[in-house]
Amino acid sequence: MVKNITIFTTNTCGYCQMVKRYLGAKGMTWEEVNLDEHPHRQAEALKLSGALTVPVTVVTKQDDSQEVIVGYNLARLAPAVA
Amino acid sequence: MSDIPTHDVIMIGAGPAALTAAIYTTREDIDTLLFERGVVGGLAAVTDKIDNYPGFPDGIDGLTLADELRKQAERFGAVIELGEVTNIHDEGEYKRLETTSGDMRAKAILIATGSDYKKTGAPGEAEYYARGVHYCATCDGAFYRDKKIAVIGGGNSAIQEAIFLTRYATHIDLLVRSTIKASDVLQKELQEYVDSGKITIHLGTTTDEIVGKDNMVVRVDATKDGNKVSFDVDGVFIFVGLLPNSQFLVPLSVKLDEIGFVMTDQHLQTSMPGVFAAGDIRSGATMQIASAAGEGATAALKIREFLEGHVKAA
Repeated sequence: MVKNITIFTTNTCGYCQMVKRYLGAKGMTWEEVNLDEHPHRQAEALKLSGALTVPVTVVTKQDDSQEVIVGYNLARLAPAVA
Repeated sequence: MSDIPTHDVIMIGAGPAALTAAIYTTREDIDTLLFERGVVGGLAAVTDKIDNYPGFPDGIDGLTLADELRKQAERFGAVIELGEVTNIHDEGEYKRLETTSGDMRAKAILIATGSDYKKTGAPGEAEYYARGVHYCATCDGAFYRDKKIAVIGGGNSAIQEAIFLTRYATHIDLLVRSTIKASDVLQKELQEYVDSGKITIHLGTTTDEIVGKDNMVVRVDATKDGNKVSFDVDGVFIFVGLLPNSQFLVPLSVKLDEIGFVMTDQHLQTSMPGVFAAGDIRSGATMQIASAAGEGATAALKIREFLEGHVKAA
């Protein structure tokens, strides 16, 4: 079961829109960290994902374990939020 | 009667070609489902600014154009499924599609899977992907605020995205293998950034290696006019042409050209009857959003004729 979801995004990122669109269609909610508005949080996204890219989706489960999905990757995102 | 979900048309892809086709088919009450494995709007959706799509005198950002196209198609009843088509079986009147949402059937299919950015193949490119090597400026540009980057390529995409990246980077080295082939308008805009010292153009420059240290890119090694040169940069954005998204078609009887683009007849029909193609995936396409939209409209009309029994197999 999903406890919460955080998505690191930027204003111009089409793939970020797709992650939000997918989660929205599933009726899920999320916290969005827009790196254009909060550039000081880039290091956090990098640490979590190991990559200089967005979207980075962090799915926290009820047992506080985390799954980090880099990019718009339905094959990983769908089971992570199922 | 099979209990497999059945549609009049299934469109593979949801870029400008398929979205335009869907506007036309759904307005004719043709039941239409689109499958998109990536971004709705395709490469257009991840392009910063589009200045050559008619009707927008001040240009339009790609994400907005994609969203408006989507809304227009959905307004008439098009349904977009987020997933992937992995195989097509020609079963006569119907085609059966294997998809990530299970098997589906359709009387006609439109292949509009578009294309994706090509790789240079240089050592280090794959190794440092997303850790200094990027193919999407609108996605990853924000990580290069106040940093130095290189952009590889000399076509419209490379110049457009290099200009976009100037909002973040302190300086951009533009590495062009031969000469700049972007439109005159873009070249004129590029010159303003060259004059201001934001972009330096290096013509006749071939990328040899993308070099990293501590898991991040630190340098690009290249050859210019036979001499070895190096560029100290924090990241590299690569726009060196397009490759067709047609891998899933390789084992099928849909004929591809030598590069992998889908071959069609004058009706935009492929070698598999009832299967059409439009947009960047089509052999001979001009890789323009406006022509993709035009081909989408043509394909929709030909699909309607096919469904009415007027378009025969080539």
